[in-house]
Amino acid sequence: MKERILAAILVGVLGWSTHIEPTWAQAQEEPEAQVSDPWEGFNQPMFTLNLKLDEYVLRPVATAYDTVMPDGAQRGVGRFLKNLGVVERFANNVFQGKLPGAGQEAGRFLVNTVLGCAGFIEVAEPVFGWKESPEDFGQTLAIYGAANGPYLVLPFYGPSTVRDTAGLVVDSALNPMNYLLSTVEVVAIKGGLTLTNAVNSRSMNLDLFENVERSAVDLYGAVQDGYIQRREQAIKE
Amino acid sequence: MRYSTLGKATGIVVLVFSAVAWAAESPMEAIRRTVEQATHILQDPANQGREKFQERIAKVRSIVEPQFDVQEISKRTLGTYWQERTDQERKEFMTVFTELVQKTYSGTLDRYNADVQFFYDQERIDGKFAEVDSRIFDPAQNRAFAITYKMHQSNNQWLIYDVVAENISMVRNYRNQFNRILSKSSYQDLIQTLQTKIKELDTAPASASTRAPSAG
Repeated sequence: MKERILAAILVGVLGWSTHIEPTWAQAQEEPEAQVSDPWEGFNQPMFTLNLKLDEYVLRPVATAYDTVMPDGAQRGVGRFLKNLGVVERFANNVFQGKLPGAGQEAGRFLVNTVLGCAGFIEVAEPVFGWKESPEDFGQTLAIYGAANGPYLVLPFYGPSTVRDTAGLVVDSALNPMNYLLSTVEVVAIKGGLTLTNAVNSRSMNLDLFENVERSAVDLYGAVQDGYIQRREQAIKE
Repeated sequence: MRYSTLGKATGIVVLVFSAVAWAAESPMEAIRRTVEQATHILQDPANQGREKFQERIAKVRSIVEPQFDVQEISKRTLGTYWQERTDQERKEFMTVFTELVQKTYSGTLDRYNADVQFFYDQERIDGKFAEVDSRIFDPAQNRAFAITYKMHQSNNQWLIYDVVAENISMVRNYRNQFNRILSKSSYQDLIQTLQTKIKELDTAPASASTRAPSAG
C-alpha cells in the first residue's frame, strides 16, 4: 500500500511518467517458461558444427576482413545486402497489413538504389526519415497465430524454430532472383551473398561474439534463449 | 549482501544521504545517480592504471551492488528450482552468482571510456514495479545500445531485478542456461559449473577490444 502511494506521488510529481496496464505489473511476478527443445539431440551436434565452422572459417575470415576493410565500408556492404532484401520486407509488410511500412520499403529501395549508389549509402532515413521495416515471413506466420514450434538449429544459418524455418523458405521464394536466373546461378549468388553477409556482420560483431562466449555458462542455452527473445521483440514491433 | 563495506565514517554518511535520496528518488533518478557515481570513479585520475584495476572495480561494485536486489535476481534466475533450495543453498547461490556476474562484466566496465554517452529516455511506473529505458552511445563503434532496467520497490528503494540489453533479458537468459543444467544434473553440479566458470574468467581476463576506433 505504502509503495502504491509513493509510486502514485512519484507519477503525479513526475508528469512524464507513463502508466502501464496493471497486467504488466502482474506479469513481472512470474518468470516465463523455459524454451521448448524436443529436438535437442539433433540441435546440439548442429550447434557444435556451427561453432566449429565459426571458429575455423568465419572468425578468421571475418578478422582478416575487419583488418583490411574500414568500418564505414563494412557498414556500406551491410546496407547494400539489406537493400537487396526489399521484396521480402515489402511483401511481409503487406501480409501483416502494415501498408505504411510497405510504402516506406518501396520508397527506401528507390531512393537508396538511385541516390545511394545501389544501396551502399543510406539516403532515405536521413533525408526523408523513412526507417527500415524489417518484417519476414516467420513474423507474418506469428501474427496469423502460428506458434514458434520446436527450437531448431540449422546448419550455417544457426538458431531458428520450425515456424521461422518455414518463413525462411517462403522468403527465399519471394526473392525475384529465383525467377530471373537459373537455379545454379541463384544458388551461387545467394550462397555468395549469404557468406558475404555472414562475414560482414561477424566482423562488425567480433566483440559481441566474444562477450557472449565470455558471459555464457551454457553457450547453447544462452544462444537459444537470445534467439527466442530477439524474435519475440521483432514480432511485437 | 546488500550493504557493501565503505568504511565506517563514510558508510554512515553515505547511508544517511542515501536513505534521504532513496525516499525521494524516482527509478530513473536512481539509475542516473548510480551511473554517474560509477563513471566518476572510473574517470578519476587517482584510480587510473592497470595496477589499480581491482581497487577500481571494488569501488564501483560498492556503488552499483546496493542498487541490485540480489535475492530477487537469484530467485528469478533459478525459477522453479529456487523453491527446492534450503536457506543455506540460496545464500550460497547468491554469493556464487554475484561473483560470476561481477567477474564477467568487470572487464567490460573497465574498458569504459569518457567518450561514451548515456541517455535516459523514459520511465514507466506501475505499482511497485518500474522500467527505465536508457541508451548507451559508443562513438568508437558509432552505435547505441538499448538498456532497459526492470526495477521493483523494496523498503522504499527502487532496486534492479533485471537488465534487458538490446531486447535480451539477462535474468531470463541465465534462467534458460541454469534450468538446462538443472534439468539434467544436480544443484551441486550447477554450483560446480559456476565455480569453474569463475576460475576460467579469473585466468582469462577480458581481452581488450579487437577493433581500433575509427571514424568509419
